[in-house]
Amino acid sequence: MSYNFQNVKVLLVEDNQPMANLITTVLRSFGVGEVISCLDGQQGFRKFCHVNPDLVITDWMMEPWDGIKMSKEIRNNPNSPNQFVPIILMTGFSEKRRVIAARDAGITEFLVKPFNTRDLYRRLYQIIERPRQFVKSDDYMGPDRRRMKLGQDEYTGVKKRTSDYPDGKIPISESDQLVVDIDFN
Amino acid sequence: MADVKHYNQKPIRNAEFLTPPNLIKAKVGNGGLSNQLLMKTQKLLEEHAQDLTPLAKIYLDRMAEGIEQAKSNTEEFSESEDQISLILFPCVQLKANGTMFQYPLVTRLADRFVQFMEVVERLDKETLEIAEAFYSTIKIVVSSQIKGTGGSQGEQLVEELNAACMRYFAKHKERIEEKKKKQEI
Repeated sequence: MSYNFQNVKVLLVEDNQPMANLITTVLRSFGVGEVISCLDGQQGFRKFCHVNPDLVITDWMMEPWDGIKMSKEIRNNPNSPNQFVPIILMTGFSEKRRVIAARDAGITEFLVKPFNTRDLYRRLYQIIERPRQFVKSDDYMGPDRRRMKLGQDEYTGVKKRTSDYPDGKIPISESDQLVVDIDFN
Repeated sequence: MADVKHYNQKPIRNAEFLTPPNLIKAKVGNGGLSNQLLMKTQKLLEEHAQDLTPLAKIYLDRMAEGIEQAKSNTEEFSESEDQISLILFPCVQLKANGTMFQYPLVTRLADRFVQFMEVVERLDKETLEIAEAFYSTIKIVVSSQIKGTGGSQGEQLVEELNAACMRYFAKHKERIEEKKKKQEI
């Protein structure tokens, strides 16, 4: 038995047509039933509201709306039909501050270009088999930014949630630190 | 002595944790994708790759425009992120597209330049010289249709450009450290 993507609808937002064609070829080969393409984030968000896809795969750098702006709208706009939809952000950037910016926009998985079939499949597998809880706070809506590494039972990064400290006192040294424990791979 | 650290402590944010239904899992079922399918898809990806040349020309032209524009500002040694982006962003696209369209040497060269630009703190005469060297090299690789790694010559090109970046870093170590600190804040 293997995954059956026949009933899965994917929204692909990519302004580079040859790249969009390549990704569509991969998704079709995986058996994805429907791939809907858009050329920028603004068009992408409109289409998202209209078709309510099961998965969004988006490029970062596009105009007038980039992939980050679109992801924020998907997560926060009251018109969004599914704030929890998995979002894979593709980009040529890999520097930490850029990854953090993407993470803070509420994306689910980060896929660095160039990538191969297996890289894309790994992100899909994570989404399907290891979905994360969502966090809704005053300034963030998206997948839990804490991620446990494979084989670990407990989160080992910086802890600054009230639930981490039952007595309600967060040690100042830890609450002042920036959470950078990310592992999108 | 008053506890200033306590006074400056960030307010505790109330966060709500939500567990959305795993809709995609419900649709695709179990079992993953077979290794055979992944290999077949990778082959398709390689066969369907279109010619990189027209796409690369667009990004190389944008990169050249960015370099020319920055050159006219060198008296002020522009520290503007926007100015850096005009050169950096097209190169990120070259990095992203190179390997996907069978030009891994373009990706490798562009990646070196992207990492360099992520570190430099301003566009001065030396950074622009390095930018021009990368631009010319990538242009030659594309126009000569050097697919694949480029062999020992490709390796030599990467090493020489890398060495130019390392010389720049060694010369401007303090300034770079300063930028890194600013970004961390």
